[in-house]
Amino acid sequence: MALTPKAQHTLETGDFESRRKIVKFAVVKNTEGPHVETAELASFEQAMLPHLDAAYNLARWLVRNEQDAQDVVQEAYLRAFKSFGGFRGSNGRAWLLTIVRNTSYTLLKKNQSVYLTTTFDEETHASSHELASPATILEHAEDAKLIKNAMNELSVDFREILTLRHQEDLSYQEIGDILKIPTGTVMSRLARARAKLKECLVGNISQEK
Amino acid sequence: MNCEEIRNLMDPYLDGELDPVISQRVEQHLRECAKCEGAYEVETAMAHAISQTAPYYKAPRDLRAGIQFSLRQAVGTTTSQAAEETAPLQVTPSQVTRRGATFAMPWNWLALAAAIILAAVIGATLLPRLRQPDAAQVLATQLIANHVRSLMADHLTDVASSDQHTVKPWLDMKLDFAAPVVDLAKDGFFLVGGRLDYLDNHAAAALVYQRRKHFINLFIWPTTAVDSKGPTVMAHQGYHLLRWSDSDFNYWAVSDVNIDDLESFKQLFEQQTARR
Repeated sequence: MALTPKAQHTLETGDFESRRKIVKFAVVKNTEGPHVETAELASFEQAMLPHLDAAYNLARWLVRNEQDAQDVVQEAYLRAFKSFGGFRGSNGRAWLLTIVRNTSYTLLKKNQSVYLTTTFDEETHASSHELASPATILEHAEDAKLIKNAMNELSVDFREILTLRHQEDLSYQEIGDILKIPTGTVMSRLARARAKLKECLVGNISQEK
Repeated sequence: MNCEEIRNLMDPYLDGELDPVISQRVEQHLRECAKCEGAYEVETAMAHAISQTAPYYKAPRDLRAGIQFSLRQAVGTTTSQAAEETAPLQVTPSQVTRRGATFAMPWNWLALAAAIILAAVIGATLLPRLRQPDAAQVLATQLIANHVRSLMADHLTDVASSDQHTVKPWLDMKLDFAAPVVDLAKDGFFLVGGRLDYLDNHAAAALVYQRRKHFINLFIWPTTAVDSKGPTVMAHQGYHLLRWSDSDFNYWAVSDVNIDDLESFKQLFEQQTARR
């Protein structure tokens, strides 16, 4: 057994049901020949590991902390490998991101009390919105800390759609496929998400002053 | 169109989701109406803030190793052999040697041949992803591999410069052809630098452009008589490939930006090179 100590450590700290699943999975997979699996694993890794950053970035924005994001991505890759045989499309990144998203939601639901309560304060933000001029917004839109905080104040469905559109550069169609919503809904949700982000940004600017 | 209609179209316009005709009408209105133009500027700033100012979290180093380890656990192998990125078609060597030890009897030759044929047939049916059907596919795979490698191995550029007048002489010096280098910064494609690459058995120039968070590798090499025709647009493993050529060069653009952006990149590049 040539196990690297570092890899083992990562596995042990990730308690996100991954170990239990691995055992179950191993039993099923072992009924096939080992060479077929090795080749399938190689083609899976070749197709999916290049999208690791995209997977991690999405998970990181959804679950909002480093360790959980790592667990989610690890679990998502295992799930993806399990259903890789059924993957016939050409867009591996969108396919993987769908699985990362679903896995993130599994974790978010499990920790519902912690995660799904948004820290967004409706009153402060709503009242200050009207006071901000476009010039103020333009001035602060490049403040990395303000933008990051404003993003993290958004609800999870807004965070995910903004990440997919503006960081992964996906089309309405691709986003619709990932979120399982029509493209019309993608458009309106994106518009609302950007408006809300602007609101949060403005709210934070006025609090800073 | 009046201002209200324009405001309703502003989001899909910003996201590049309108058809060209309507898109042009919105564009024209924005040029003429200062109020809408101002509103659009704020919208663009928000989009830009998310794509450029908000952090893009890169996967930590250990995560990759962790995933590869748990995948190997899942298939029940932990051999280093499995860690090879691209495992070639392996025709069960243990079987072959075991039979090889007793091949004095003629029928064992048949058995050995049958075993090899069987293994080949199984391999061909069970591993369709490893088969490479034609030259275009092989080249596409190579192009994507080079693209991915350039992003992974901290070897995106040999000469890092946004100035075409720095990149071009450098490439000219290293290659036996003079690849065109153009500046597309005003259209949102920023030149990052140039690199020497090797593709399809010849040296190629690789120009690297950045579109928002995404990189485009543009591979250029001189046209020859035996160029593979193949498709001009391909989607493969989540990447888009776009091929075109002029009288002197073959161009292959590879990226994970959406296909529309890549198409407009191609058009802009062609316009600039045609002007020479």
